[in-house]
Amino acid sequence: MQNTNENFSFKKYAWAQFKKNKIALVSLYLLLVLVIIAVFAPYIANDRPLYAEYEGNTLYPAFASETRTDSIYNAEGAFVQVLQYDITDWRQLELTSVVWAPIPYSPGSMDRYNRDYAAPSGEQRFKNSDGEIINIPSKFRHKLGTDGIGRDLASGLIHGTRISLMVGLVSMGIASLIGIILGALAGFFGDTKLKMPRIKYWLTLFGVFMGFFYGFGQRKYVLSQAFSESIGDGMMAMLVSIGVVIGITILFRILSKPLQFGKLKEEVNVPIDTFVSRGIELLNSIPRLLLIITITAVVERSIWIVMIIIGVTGWTRIARFTRAEFLRIRSLEFVQAAESLGFSSARTIFKHALPNALAPVFVSIAFGIASAILIESGLSFLGIGVPDDIVTWGSLLNLGRQNLEAWWLIIYPGMAIFITITIYNMIAEASRDALDPRLKS
Amino acid sequence: MFRYALKRILTFIPMLIAISLLSFVISINAPGDPVERLSKAAGNEGSAEQQSGASKKIKQELRKKLGLDLPIFYLSITDLASSDTLYKVQDKYHKENLEALTHQSGNWEAVSNYYHSLVSLQKAHQKVDAKAIVAKDSTLSLNLVNEINNQFGFEIGSLLETSDKEIVALKFEKMNSLLTGNAFLNKLEVPLTNVTNARDNIFSNATKWKTYIPAISWYGGKNQYHLWLVGNGKERKGLLRGDFGISYIDSQPIQSKIWQKVGISFSLSLISIFLAYLISIPIGIYSAYKKDSVADKGMSLVLFVLYSMPSFFVATLLLLQFANPDNLSWFPVSGIQDPTIFDPNWSLWMKLKHRMPFLVLPIITYTYGSFAFLSRIMRVGMIDIVSQDYIRTARAKGLGEGKVILKHALRNSLLPVITVFASIFPMAIGGSIIIEVIFSIPGMGVEVYNAILNYDYPMIITVFTLSGFLTMVGYLVADLLYAVVDPRISYK
Repeated sequence: MQNTNENFSFKKYAWAQFKKNKIALVSLYLLLVLVIIAVFAPYIANDRPLYAEYEGNTLYPAFASETRTDSIYNAEGAFVQVLQYDITDWRQLELTSVVWAPIPYSPGSMDRYNRDYAAPSGEQRFKNSDGEIINIPSKFRHKLGTDGIGRDLASGLIHGTRISLMVGLVSMGIASLIGIILGALAGFFGDTKLKMPRIKYWLTLFGVFMGFFYGFGQRKYVLSQAFSESIGDGMMAMLVSIGVVIGITILFRILSKPLQFGKLKEEVNVPIDTFVSRGIELLNSIPRLLLIITITAVVERSIWIVMIIIGVTGWTRIARFTRAEFLRIRSLEFVQAAESLGFSSARTIFKHALPNALAPVFVSIAFGIASAILIESGLSFLGIGVPDDIVTWGSLLNLGRQNLEAWWLIIYPGMAIFITITIYNMIAEASRDALDPRLKS
Repeated sequence: MFRYALKRILTFIPMLIAISLLSFVISINAPGDPVERLSKAAGNEGSAEQQSGASKKIKQELRKKLGLDLPIFYLSITDLASSDTLYKVQDKYHKENLEALTHQSGNWEAVSNYYHSLVSLQKAHQKVDAKAIVAKDSTLSLNLVNEINNQFGFEIGSLLETSDKEIVALKFEKMNSLLTGNAFLNKLEVPLTNVTNARDNIFSNATKWKTYIPAISWYGGKNQYHLWLVGNGKERKGLLRGDFGISYIDSQPIQSKIWQKVGISFSLSLISIFLAYLISIPIGIYSAYKKDSVADKGMSLVLFVLYSMPSFFVATLLLLQFANPDNLSWFPVSGIQDPTIFDPNWSLWMKLKHRMPFLVLPIITYTYGSFAFLSRIMRVGMIDIVSQDYIRTARAKGLGEGKVILKHALRNSLLPVITVFASIFPMAIGGSIIIEVIFSIPGMGVEVYNAILNYDYPMIITVFTLSGFLTMVGYLVADLLYAVVDPRISYK
């Protein structure tokens, strides 16, 4: 017992508290399972075999790139055929030995023998390599059924896991970046603590303006060009633009140094807290789902853009919590010590104060992931924003709504959404109790 | 109190302006040309020849009526190279092209000359009379002449809309080869040379440096935002006076379309919030009464799980179970009335009786959403209040447990009622999109959904702006009510 006090670590304590909550622990393991499914989705559900022997050639089709094309020669060196991996029907080939993925269907591939909502336990048909239509072998059975155009539901669910995790990760990544930075600045400086010479204040504002002019106004065509190439290129161009804005702002701040004399040198307050709080209030006063739907209506349909919009509209809660934590922390001794040691504000904020403010932020991120997944599945349920060819849990559930006889298209995707959201909420609530007992409800 | 209210209202105004700006920015970035959409809705779409006549005039009038011939905002921040008269160009795509060209070269005058030479080429091209040519030269067939003529016209049209250098070069090549190959187009030679010269002039006299210097141009009150917000005192009344614009779907004024639908969404959300309170308040009381009992813990777990259940999943499950011939066909699947039986002359009671079965499932779903949330708040709130000193005092002076909970604790735990109540106003405008779509309830949610599917931007923006305004009003009312209801709260 004496040891515990000496080696007391908040992380260990919080983890021990968290472990006491058995339901939350189970949720954590389930989340791990979901992550594993998402990472290995192409090897769990794929209509190309994991391993195949064909005419004496050893192939690993599921691990190769989709667009790969092989010319196949048999053991005597005679040409057999050209295999284009993504359009070959591997079931029709005479494979001497083969290992199929656990679910031998890709999410988008249509099984034309099992169209029109084949029930999980109902009759399903299969065309064997001799070209005969037979009753389906249990290996190829659609164990969770199919939709109206013969897509396998189990495969759709497995690949949907990927999308739902990505939505949570990307959107909350963006939201926490914005929320933590704005919340920290607002909470740490308040309305009165950030002072700078008048000329520096003016030139900073002017620098931000010029930064936007050169970074976004001038690069408008470069940006739209990059976004039309691919989302990745667009994001890179966006980063360059943000870099330009920051660079020019810094340049103008440096320029203000020699100008500091007389009235221009007087210190003025920067009401940063007011700015941030008004921004939060404004964003909160617009119903979030309506805002997201309105924006998705004017931009291109893409799952990435949906994630970005969910992130950009979802930072207010995180910012509020960070701000409140910083308001508390900034009067504590260790922050004052850091300040009196002459550390820069940036160092004090990010190195000393922020690590101590992250507990409630972490909790609101976890809750945020749950609501991001809820919003995304709601949008794809309505068919808004998310492109039609992307299979998500929400879009599967929507197929079930349109045909109530296909109960499997309602129960399984719905349960997947429900369980994932519950897992995140459970983890969030348990970590709130563990990290900050004061917040316990 | 009065001063607080005044201050609160004053901060309210900039927020309203901010919301209106936000929705205006979204609306002007909407893809497509509103005039094309509206004239399509009015059935004025025709071939190129027809368009040049009557419908072109109609479009111009529409453009003027919508205020699209005005600058966008009071001021604009551009660069030195850009023109402050660009907004006068009518076609949206031409405008964008000219802007891009100016950005490439920095020489607005040359770009403007190029545009004018292109327009006169287009006019000369429209004068080409295929029938007269065929009449003159009988070796040509009318079809061939028409086809070549149309090709030429297409190249001009695309030149007006593209600034990509490679594509432009290709188009010029194509037009030159058409011209040399077909002698009957010789009238177009001079205008085409003009265009080529003007095009070369853009880049030989480029002043790229001008694009690097920011410039602000001021337009004053005659702009699109001003017109949209406060109108012009004549045919446009402006958003603030209840003129929300014209729907792209059927060219009807939006305000005449929405009020009935607002009524439906509003009554549904009102009923469901009422029911949610009816259920969640007893749950809160019970939890506080029997805190930490097995029943309380179980209930809190159940509430938690219900809270994580998406309402669209619940709705689909309800349909699957209760409106499905395979299971139980108790309720109709969609709508709020049966059009074959429903008679608008029925008494209110008859109408209600008829609509009841249609409304059961939607109201369950509606209520469910707010019930799980409210119950959790009520439970936490009650437990928090029961542990406070004045409750202990009440107990200590010998009051019965029932009286303590119902008389002392309940009143204070009802404060969150106000907050949630404030949120039903925006709900009435935005509707619950998902639930209304699932049950095909003809309220605002379905209206928004259809507007999105049909790219009816004026409707989307109206709903967006109104629900923003109403949320702000809701917050304002809630804040003021708090101060009235709870004497402990003072706003100084």
